[in-house]
Amino acid sequence: MSAQHPSSPVSSDPRQYEHMRGPTAHRTGLVLIHRDFILAGAVLLIAAFATDCFYYTTALWQWSNFSAWLITAGLIVTLVAVILLIIDFVMRRASRLNIGSFILVIAAALLSLLNAFVHSRDAWTSVVPQGILLSALSTILLLIAGARGWSLARSRATGDHS
Amino acid sequence: MKATFLRLPTTLIAMLALAACGSSGGDSARQYGANPYLPAPHQYLLPPMSVPEAVGWKARERPSVSAGLKVEALASGFEHPRTLYALPNGDILVVESNSPGTEAFRPKDFIAGKIKARAGAAEKGGNRITLLREAGGDGKPALRTIFIDHLYSPYGIVLVGDTLYVANTDAILAFKYVPGMTQITEPGVKLTDLPAGPIDHHWTKSMTASADGSKLYVGVGSNSNITENGIDVEAGRAAIYEVDRVTGAKRIYATGTRNPTGLAFEPKTQQLFAVVNERDEIGPDLVPDYLTSIREGGFYGWPYSYWGDHVDVRVHPQRPDLVAQATKPDYALSSHVAPLSLLFTEGQHLSPDFTGGAFISEHGSWDRSPLNGYQVIFLSFVDGRPVGKPIPVVTGFLGADNETVRGRPVGLALDGNGALLVADDVGNTVWRVSATRPGS
Repeated sequence: MSAQHPSSPVSSDPRQYEHMRGPTAHRTGLVLIHRDFILAGAVLLIAAFATDCFYYTTALWQWSNFSAWLITAGLIVTLVAVILLIIDFVMRRASRLNIGSFILVIAAALLSLLNAFVHSRDAWTSVVPQGILLSALSTILLLIAGARGWSLARSRATGDHS
Repeated sequence: MKATFLRLPTTLIAMLALAACGSSGGDSARQYGANPYLPAPHQYLLPPMSVPEAVGWKARERPSVSAGLKVEALASGFEHPRTLYALPNGDILVVESNSPGTEAFRPKDFIAGKIKARAGAAEKGGNRITLLREAGGDGKPALRTIFIDHLYSPYGIVLVGDTLYVANTDAILAFKYVPGMTQITEPGVKLTDLPAGPIDHHWTKSMTASADGSKLYVGVGSNSNITENGIDVEAGRAAIYEVDRVTGAKRIYATGTRNPTGLAFEPKTQQLFAVVNERDEIGPDLVPDYLTSIREGGFYGWPYSYWGDHVDVRVHPQRPDLVAQATKPDYALSSHVAPLSLLFTEGQHLSPDFTGGAFISEHGSWDRSPLNGYQVIFLSFVDGRPVGKPIPVVTGFLGADNETVRGRPVGLALDGNGALLVADDVGNTVWRVSATRPGS
């Protein structure tokens, strides 16, 4: 990187990333590397809402145990996604923050962090009522972010969300 | 959307406020006796841990004792000494032991385990029993041998006739004992299995024998704090068992005792008593650990309720039918002190203050601020019932800053000269507490 001329940063030419494009990349431009991690983190956090629901109906402790691990893993993957988002900007692949989706995902992450602590309680009250409420809220926020295309930034090449 | 966004910060602030309040415990003295102060329970966001760092004893440092008493190290260099037992010939047995190790199930378990290790809780136990033979009067033991080796997280120990019973975490073993023996190499014969793995959260199996020697009583702790490992794994746990000494047949004698870590018969009435460690994480002043008489068939609340009919909302489904039957314990020792050993005395020991009652060791709190316990107390008994306030006998296990811990008291025994012996599983020492004036 240090050998590059400052006026020609490595990420300015979309063709450099041809090999990283998905099937639709040709139409929409650069794929931002953070997006799939946002999706993966969201899947884990939404799955925790499902396991919370199973715990609520069955009171079988293993479901609440799954929830605690899913939330922890979801938070770690989301943290990785945010780091990759920064990399997308540093590498000049992303042009502009998608403010709405960004707030949705960050709010879901903060709620899930709180939820990780709620889930560290013992037995029933680790889930009911606050834990499952937080899981439901972050699920709603993440699904809205999903409807908006998961990406937290616009791609520099075309301005599209992906 | 707008409603959701308004709601988020409100929820966050409300929950953080909930987490912040009620984090400091009040005066422990409000929780001594038959009617302890019981505040409203709290639900925490961060597990309320407050663990002093284990630093051990420096040269010449020792616990403090009340006026008229003196303390010295009888022996040290043990591997996590827990229970002490005085044999009829005056020999002292030191059970060196610790948990067989539990699996971390949840993200929380990893972190909580690391923090508790700070206070020396994770040290490896010796899985053996050491014999000490005291020289006449004060001073170091004249003899020290490994009495029984290769045990499996042993804790309870009792001699009946010529048989020595050792309660490993998973079984009671019987050893043939001849007075004067300094070593047993023959493997023990299994009398009966005890509830143990795969979780074995509260692993200690306290044990005592009835006066006629026909029955053994064994304390089995719960497999969780408050059923967070599921209700199925609590079958046969949080209970006191009666074991027939001849046949090994066992039955549940009492239930609902979360972790009955010390069992003993009151000498005048021959009534069975237990010290019990109550539940955590609903407040610095909840729930008081207690001393109670154990009635056959009695239910003492865990997990559904505490101190009688105070329902614990963390358990689901709840059992109002059982809560209605729950027995209130006799005497609260205040919250999170972790009583581990119960030693009755007959007549006067050490000083006129300690006449007819029980010594209780308090291993010390790990989830209360300010710290509580970390001492040996004496409690007077009148007509077979605990009365009055506890008298601190051996203190000073914490450093002066209350941030470090030099030792933690566990096992208690009276030696042949009437001195009180205290096992210390952080200092890895056995302390000997005696009267400054002989014969007093």
